[in-house]
Amino acid sequence: MLAAKSARGLVAPAVILTAGVFLAPFLLLLAMSLWSQPPGSLMLDVTPTGENYRRITTDAYYMGGLARTIWLSLATTAICAVLSLPLAWWIVRRAGRFRGLILAVVLIPMVCGALLPTLGIVNLIGPLGVLNGTLKSLGLIERSWKLLGTQAGILIGLVHAFLPLMVLPLVASMDRLPRDAEGAAMSLGARRRAVWTRIILPLCAPGLLAGSALVFCATLTAFVTPLILGQGKIPTFATMAYQQASLVLDWPFASALAVVMLAILAAIGALGWAVRQALPGAAR
Amino acid sequence: MFGSRTFIRATLAAGAVIAAGAAGAQDYSGKTLVVGTWGGDIERLLKEHAAKPLEEKTGAKVEFLLGGSGDRMSKLYAERQNPTMDVTFQNIYEAPQLLADGLVVPPDPDSQMYKDVWDGMNEGCYAMSLVGLGIAYSKELVSEPPEWADMWKPEYKGMIGMAPYPSSEGDGLLGVAARLEGTDEHDPDAAFAKVSELGAPALVYTSLDEVFALMEAGEVAMAPMISGYVLAGLKEFPGIGFSFPTDPGPVLIRDMVCQVAKSPNPELAEMFIEYALSPETQKAYAEEIYFGPTNSTVELSEAAAADTINSPEEVASLLQLDWPWLIEQRSDWTERWNKEILAQ
Repeated sequence: MLAAKSARGLVAPAVILTAGVFLAPFLLLLAMSLWSQPPGSLMLDVTPTGENYRRITTDAYYMGGLARTIWLSLATTAICAVLSLPLAWWIVRRAGRFRGLILAVVLIPMVCGALLPTLGIVNLIGPLGVLNGTLKSLGLIERSWKLLGTQAGILIGLVHAFLPLMVLPLVASMDRLPRDAEGAAMSLGARRRAVWTRIILPLCAPGLLAGSALVFCATLTAFVTPLILGQGKIPTFATMAYQQASLVLDWPFASALAVVMLAILAAIGALGWAVRQALPGAAR
Repeated sequence: MFGSRTFIRATLAAGAVIAAGAAGAQDYSGKTLVVGTWGGDIERLLKEHAAKPLEEKTGAKVEFLLGGSGDRMSKLYAERQNPTMDVTFQNIYEAPQLLADGLVVPPDPDSQMYKDVWDGMNEGCYAMSLVGLGIAYSKELVSEPPEWADMWKPEYKGMIGMAPYPSSEGDGLLGVAARLEGTDEHDPDAAFAKVSELGAPALVYTSLDEVFALMEAGEVAMAPMISGYVLAGLKEFPGIGFSFPTDPGPVLIRDMVCQVAKSPNPELAEMFIEYALSPETQKAYAEEIYFGPTNSTVELSEAAAADTINSPEEVASLLQLDWPWLIEQRSDWTERWNKEILAQ
């Protein structure tokens, strides 16, 4: 009894903090998404209305932005998975004593925030950047190849930013694979391809799933990378919400955009959980 | 007769003493005036010409809150019941909205500082500086200082840089486009159709260096930009010119200084605004960063006068937009800008 009481006491600060800085603002966000602004004013009219959601769902611009955001998230997740599988395998099996160093290098985009790496990418792929400069001086192109302000440019930035979220769970699950599973399969006549598709991939599925969910959700809500690399020309849900909240100052509409994004995150979370339950070994 | 004259004299003298006491000797030490403004040169000039004398005179401390004017708008609305800022600098496309929503103190038409400002310039708040939206251009790609219509020449399609929208620059460009079509900003269909003919912007710029570097590299031909900062920045970029077009003229854009309603230090706020609008501060703005004075009593050196908007004739030659009306269109126009200009 005493132990239960003191346990409650120990979690209280965390609960209060979560309620204060997450739950309360979240409820305000939900409420505000149902508010409006009187014509010609930026003040808030708190009479509940579904107008903001009607505007999002009936306007091709916002639905297009939603589709684009989801497409960018899916593409980023897929590219990260393809790049991370061999990289994680190499780290686990081949990196040896450089493993720590390589993991640290992989982690750099995660720990230095979104802004610096994104500005670095601007310098690489921008019209006056390293890539275009090289192509121009080699005489291969006359005018800059446009990557900034395109979906391709945003994808480069997103993959770079969120690759660690895929690599780390994969490294964790590959670490748990028995070292001799690969050799055992090959001794029974499996070719390299079959070893990957029938042994390694299924056994790493939980890591792949966790990484995919992390990358997808992080990409869906990414703001700095699409804003800077999209140059304001490729609207995603996060940059639309930013424009409405900070430039138009239509907070109710910005709240509705944010709520839609959170609802998608919740749906992805539920889907990930369901798939995880269906995977072999889920009971463990 | 003699008695009453003595009485009047004595009353006047007593009044003068009281007035002098109220103006000069009141001690505000311990108080902190919070002023929201842009960082860089503007902060430096305000510190030197408004904050410093105010601190010396009153004993109060002036604290600057730096950032974009949109952040300050958000702050004003979020803190509307209990503001922490006393004075805020806003754009002309924001100030009338703040007054309409009761978040700033209306400018006082009887005050001397109001009367010193050019007629009709105090809208929502006091007008702080006058700048014009003209055209920055790459000298390599555009041989002559361009007129507005030159931006629509086929060879420059897709090579125009634009500011993010909503902004004074965006509304200014729409106003100009509408006039080139023989109408004005109240006809948004004409304005948006004309601007969309420019093609998607080559660059949506957020800093001067960004747009200037691309202009020098020949990637961006022209960009509608605000005179003050550009003229101050041109020294470092010899390949770039700035044109004040004539048909129509440059769009008049103003920075405004506002006293926040219900602010903690209203007297200090008013005194700060007086210093900001004083000929000394306004002259420094003009001489150092080419922001034209709103105070009609300011006299400028020849060099500064040439590059700033500083006479009634110049003000009259500028294109004035219906800002209070434009502000009401903000949400709709942002959506149209996103769809019709950016998403081409």
